[in-house]
Amino acid sequence: MRTFRKSLLEWRSAPAMIFVVAVLILAGCIAIIFQNEATFRAGRDRQAQVAAQVLADSVSAAVDFGDPLAARQAVDAFRENPEVRYVGVYDRAGRPLAAYDPLGDHRGETLAHLMPEGPSGYRVLLPIVSAGQRIGTIVYSVQREAVSRRLTRYLTLGALALLAALVIVTLGLAQTALHRANRELSERAEALGQANELLAEQIEERAKAEEQLRQSHKMQALGQLTGGIAHDFNNLLTVIQGSADILTREELADDRRKRFANAIVQAAQNAAVLTSQLLAFARRQPLKPEIVDLCELVGGMTELLDRTMGERIRIETDLDRATPPVKVDRGQLQSAILNVGSNARDAMPDGGTLRIAVSPAPSGAGEPMAAISISDTGTGMDPETASRIFEPFFTTKKTGKGTGLGLSQVYGFATQSGGDVVVDSEPGKGTTVSILLPCSESSIVAQPVAEDDAVPDQPRADILVVEDNEEVGQFAETLLTELGHSVTLATSGEEALELARGHDFDVVFSDVVMPGMGGLRLAEQLAAEKPELPVILATGYSQEIAQSGSGGRPVILKPYRLATLSQALADAISAKDH
Amino acid sequence: MRRAALSFAAAVAAAWLAPAPARADVSDLAVKAAFLPKFARYVTWPASALAHNGQMVLCVIGDDPFGTMLNQSVTGQQVDGRGFVIRRLSSAAGASDCAIAFVDGPRTGEVLAALRHNPVLTVTDSRSSAQHGIIHFAIVGGRVRFYIDEAQAQAHGLVISSRLLALAIGVNQG
Repeated sequence: MRTFRKSLLEWRSAPAMIFVVAVLILAGCIAIIFQNEATFRAGRDRQAQVAAQVLADSVSAAVDFGDPLAARQAVDAFRENPEVRYVGVYDRAGRPLAAYDPLGDHRGETLAHLMPEGPSGYRVLLPIVSAGQRIGTIVYSVQREAVSRRLTRYLTLGALALLAALVIVTLGLAQTALHRANRELSERAEALGQANELLAEQIEERAKAEEQLRQSHKMQALGQLTGGIAHDFNNLLTVIQGSADILTREELADDRRKRFANAIVQAAQNAAVLTSQLLAFARRQPLKPEIVDLCELVGGMTELLDRTMGERIRIETDLDRATPPVKVDRGQLQSAILNVGSNARDAMPDGGTLRIAVSPAPSGAGEPMAAISISDTGTGMDPETASRIFEPFFTTKKTGKGTGLGLSQVYGFATQSGGDVVVDSEPGKGTTVSILLPCSESSIVAQPVAEDDAVPDQPRADILVVEDNEEVGQFAETLLTELGHSVTLATSGEEALELARGHDFDVVFSDVVMPGMGGLRLAEQLAAEKPELPVILATGYSQEIAQSGSGGRPVILKPYRLATLSQALADAISAKDH
Repeated sequence: MRRAALSFAAAVAAAWLAPAPARADVSDLAVKAAFLPKFARYVTWPASALAHNGQMVLCVIGDDPFGTMLNQSVTGQQVDGRGFVIRRLSSAAGASDCAIAFVDGPRTGEVLAALRHNPVLTVTDSRSSAQHGIIHFAIVGGRVRFYIDEAQAQAHGLVISSRLLALAIGVNQG
């Protein structure tokens, strides 16, 4: 505001100053003209006086002796000067003795009758003195500078002055305009800066609002997730709780006891699937990639799918045997197919056909892909829903009915395996979900490990169990002792290292995630100190293993089955022995 | 108006430039009488001369053609604050304090010779004398003019102003 007012003042005072300067210059020029004129006149008058004086002196004798010829000679000398208009020599009585009169104005006039000088001339009357006596008079007239010539001279000067004033005015105005423009520019820049600040503030506020919105979405999603998980787990826990209650009864028959025990095992398996889905969503699930023949896998799943889908849904398969094998985690792929299948079932409440096709995917310039396309004849989706189905926690089902994690597991698994998922759906025309997976370079297909509950016979082994969770540790200890092994329990990596140094164990079975020294570091340390000692790692979730792997060591995923654990131990011990 | 002025001027000029011949002698003498004291204004005498009572002595030696005209002409005339005294002499005797001497008559040559070394401005007239003083009157074009013998003036110890020399018909510079 102050600068503005100041600038306004400058802007107002500038033209006045310019005007004053211009007027001063003009006044100076006029003063110079007058001064010049005065000097010129004075000089010319003096010159005329001097000329007349010289003439008076030189002509005095001629006048004295009344010699008109001599006087005429003296007077005629002025012919050379074009400015001389009249020179007259008069005797004592005022009679003309000699005259130079180029204009013929004063011919024969006596001094007394001499016509007065016009404004364009300057006349000097000077007495001729001889021996202290006045013996005659000199009349000497010079022409003033012609008016037009003087005017021309002064006009030239005036024009120059005007030009200078004009230049100053122009420069001043230009300068002022420049100042004003600069000021406006800076004001605009300032305004722009303020607008920018305002914008930045608004952006910040918007970002905050968005962050809050995202936070509230997250909380909502978390609520949905916890609700869904709690619901599913409660179902499973109901089964486990009930079965366990019945198992405590003394009088229970053996076949029924086995049935309830199996129910618990089944519920626990379902719970494990649920947690693995959660981990898949988190993309922290350790994958165990192996070479898988998709046709064989899908063929082996038809019975399971048939049972899962229910009676009203018919299952068709279209298996292209030329499809190359892929390298993926078999269990996760099965989960993904089941997840898509269950969503397809929910989309066909009145029954329909589920069609599973396996074929080589038409790939562009990228690596070759194989596709498992699962199509239903259900309700289909609008594009908006289709675009959101892979969002974690997005579900079209009632609260508590779904976790919103099924399809996000599919997406997580596919992308983690280096593939993609493509959805093609239209309301009323069904949905096709295609899981694209990169083909393996190797064609050797691993045989699926038989899900064998039988616990292999094992020699007694000396095992160091490292587990920071007391319950899990004690459970493992009980389990392994039951299998006939000698077990030492350590609750931290550091403690385990100490124990291993003091005693020769046959194998170390360690949890991965522990405070302080974790399982991976413990294994590395032991590999350095006791390279012969095998280490088996167990984890329910480990970012470290998902990221950098286990360094070639066997990893058992929690929750683990007794058979899995004993098999791993047997493998480790036999590998050590051989 | 201009024509009237011109005719008037022409009349005056005619009267002035063409004096009547009948009155020539008298008029010429009057002019010569008027000239004599005026010469003093253009001549410088040596400092030793002119000590005569602070006055200029104008002598007429021999014949005197002027009579009272000369007395009239010197009346009121002054040179450097000095008035004039007229002295009429018959010979060079007593002419020692003359500043200007008009010499006329049959003995002109004798007088001039006698005054040869005196600081005196000798004046002669061609009308009556073939001898030349420093200044020698002559009538040229009906007007009184004069010759100047500058060499003779120097011999007399006189200096003649160039302004006067400029009016001479001729100047003998020796």
